[in-house]
Amino acid sequence: MLTRSELARYDRQIMVRGFGVEGQEKLKQARIFIAGAGGLGSAAATYLMAAGVGMIRVVDHDMVELSNLNRQVLHWDEDIGKKKVDSATEKLKRLNPSLKVEAIEEMITEANISQLVAGFDLIVDAMDNLPTRYLLNKVALEKNIPLFHGAVYGFEGRAMTIIPGETACLKCVYRGVIPGEKFPVIGVTPAVIGCIQATEAIKYIAGIGQLLANRLLIYDGLNMKFTEFRLKKDPNCEHCGQLVRGKK
Amino acid sequence: MSVRVNLHPNLHQFTNDQAIVEVNGNTVGQCLDDLVKQFPQIRQGLFGKDGKLLNYVDIYVNLESSYPEELAKPVKDGDELHITLIIAGG
Repeated sequence: MLTRSELARYDRQIMVRGFGVEGQEKLKQARIFIAGAGGLGSAAATYLMAAGVGMIRVVDHDMVELSNLNRQVLHWDEDIGKKKVDSATEKLKRLNPSLKVEAIEEMITEANISQLVAGFDLIVDAMDNLPTRYLLNKVALEKNIPLFHGAVYGFEGRAMTIIPGETACLKCVYRGVIPGEKFPVIGVTPAVIGCIQATEAIKYIAGIGQLLANRLLIYDGLNMKFTEFRLKKDPNCEHCGQLVRGKK
Repeated sequence: MSVRVNLHPNLHQFTNDQAIVEVNGNTVGQCLDDLVKQFPQIRQGLFGKDGKLLNYVDIYVNLESSYPEELAKPVKDGDELHITLIIAGG
């Protein structure tokens, strides 16, 4: 049940046809796990919080550095040297004080990931490396939690939505690894992709629209072009090959 | 068989900054062979020392994934290839 204040606060999105009070109530009940408080995480968390998602858990183990500030907009000059999760949750709480935000300063590993995501309805992949993304993919499939993937490099970004047992998963699409590297990025690129991830999450929670399921969206900011690749589940996928929705 | 190949931005360094290259071939593999013939330096961006396609290179034919056995996938005149590289930044 929405309060009078919430009805006023979310008035413009409640007005959206198909979303309404019901959609807003669903957002209020939702619990979202955001893996990473960097560029993607800053954008996704900001808009999910502003939209009224009831509970967000942000996990990151890094400290804020000067070179983060071109894109990681939850962190400001005064935050350099602070834990990213503290810097991020402090801003998010100020943005929407009535909602719950939880900060966990941990590196996501095979040992802790299952516990970290337990009880959450959605996972937003805002990581900066493939090995952890694969861990998120695997746990999402095991626990039947939708995964909202995003990645960036330079002016390029990409996003896809993974519904366990129904759609191609990250491992159906990506099989390789790339060496850990300091990657180039224009600050707005993760903002575009993080907002696409947040849009997908909101649609999924509200049960409206068409998801980026079995579709890999490529954003080319340099030429301002979107390309969409059609994906299929790989029957031999090492993560989801044998998975049928609802059966783990 | 003329096929348009759209190259990932990180591969433009091997093609004199050309984003799209016209190639000939009846399969994806033949198209890549022609691409390498035109721009020999691009081999290092696509293939490992063992001659196999690098596992972070993805190829789409007419916007559909060509995995698995990408190189054997047939193509026809007017088809479009996209060669993409995995990205992981956040």
